[in-house]
Amino acid sequence: MSLIAEFPPTSFVYAERIEDHDPPPAWLVALIKRARGLVLPLLLAAAWHWASSIDASTAYALVPLDQVWERLLQLLSTGELAINAGSSLGRALTGLALGGVSGILLGSLMAGFPLVERLFGPLLQAFRQVPLLGWLPLVGLWLGSGEEAKQLLVAVAAFHPLLLNSYEGFAQAEKKHLEVGRVLMLSRWRSFRFILLPTALPSILTGVGQALAFAWISTIGVELLFGTGAGLGSLMHTAQMAGDMGVVLLCVISIGLMGYGLNLILSLVRARLLRWRVTG
Amino acid sequence: MNAIIDPRSIQADSTSAVGGLAIRHVHKGFDIDGRKLSVLEDVSLTIAPGQFVSIVGASGCGKSTLLRLIAGLERQDSGDILLDGVPVAGPGLDRGLIFQDHRLFPWLTVEQNVLLALSNSDEAATDKRARVATLLTLVGLDGFAQAFPHQLSGGMAQRAAIARALAPQPQVLLLDEPLGALDALTRLRLQSELQRIWLTQRSTMIMVTHDVDEALFLGDVIVVMQPGRIARILHVPSAHPRDRADPALTPLKAEILSLLHAG
Repeated sequence: MSLIAEFPPTSFVYAERIEDHDPPPAWLVALIKRARGLVLPLLLAAAWHWASSIDASTAYALVPLDQVWERLLQLLSTGELAINAGSSLGRALTGLALGGVSGILLGSLMAGFPLVERLFGPLLQAFRQVPLLGWLPLVGLWLGSGEEAKQLLVAVAAFHPLLLNSYEGFAQAEKKHLEVGRVLMLSRWRSFRFILLPTALPSILTGVGQALAFAWISTIGVELLFGTGAGLGSLMHTAQMAGDMGVVLLCVISIGLMGYGLNLILSLVRARLLRWRVTG
Repeated sequence: MNAIIDPRSIQADSTSAVGGLAIRHVHKGFDIDGRKLSVLEDVSLTIAPGQFVSIVGASGCGKSTLLRLIAGLERQDSGDILLDGVPVAGPGLDRGLIFQDHRLFPWLTVEQNVLLALSNSDEAATDKRARVATLLTLVGLDGFAQAFPHQLSGGMAQRAAIARALAPQPQVLLLDEPLGALDALTRLRLQSELQRIWLTQRSTMIMVTHDVDEALFLGDVIVVMQPGRIARILHVPSAHPRDRADPALTPLKAEILSLLHAG
């Protein structure tokens, strides 16, 4: 009943009450909104820490967080974490560039020239059915377990999403826009640059997003499988052999955070490049 | 709304002897499911330089096809289309085309859209930008140079499309139902704007429309089409700028309407 006294059901008075309160500043609202995403990870960390303190067996499987923290400081001071993370990042981005550029090139050619599509289409369809792990024995035989082998596999992972998405994007070119290009006597290069490429760009960027995720996942995957050279996957592999669960956990966290960061950067680039689109 | 324009700033062709069209015995058909569908049959028409010609007719009568032939986007099966005595053999910057839908590139700003139409010009970049600014003033889009097409209303987008088509300084401007997609009020306003632009430019303009009032308000010559052929060519005696309520237009309107109903 006190509620009714405070908020009489008259919209006029109600509106006045609302205006009495200053809305919280925008930056605070934004900060709170962002911070909500941290609630679950923090709860998870707390639960983890609690479970690790039950007895010795859980302390081995679930490392107490203070030990993980110690290992983190060690890895940072020796530079081990930075070197391995940098190596994985470089491998993923090189693979993305190699596989992605070939995917975009072939995809655009297939969309532009029916002959190329008929020549390459069936082969690439079949090629796509082979999972990445299926290439492992063959690539291992050809290239061993060195850098070239890893790089090739990451490139293959990045190739397919960009092939498919850029093919789709370039095939969307609209006759009405191409006709304007003809009326304005645009050169072939300008038609490509100002009509075909922008038409395909949303699709290509979707492909880049998928390819980036695949490249990152497969980078860690091949590093784990080959276990040679630098890289977060190799570091994790070695730590697992040594039973160093703290380092394993740190690697998992780093891989997750770096993947998250890469995606964030891409979504910013995407928003900038596609700002001409109707939003909402 | 009506920007004040110095006519000399948009280079009007003072010799005025260019932009004449001769269309002679043009035939055009399309293959539809293996059957030949005739769209234009023996169409002949002469258009003097600097004239404003309105082509009216019901949909499907071939009026848009005729415009696309002049633009060089399609090729006639037989007959000749001569621009200042030279056969049309494809698109060219001497002819501009405005479509019913504005067809601006959504990924370019208004300024970039118009600039793209100047990409074959070897002017310096600053001169091009200055010319674009003048054109945007001409069509009443001051202050919208940096807007993207999705931020514009339909009427504003069509104004930008007009600026783009005018940019290469075509001798003939072809308008394919340019105001057909706009609401009635915007339409009336843009008709007056078109007239003002035409008076400034003095290039030949050929406009396809199915709005008889629009045709009469703008045209020196009205070409009435019935399916596949020209039914009649009428001359409008009134001077520009024209009064919509001009009594001289009334009998012409009645004649055009009766022809359209007969076809």
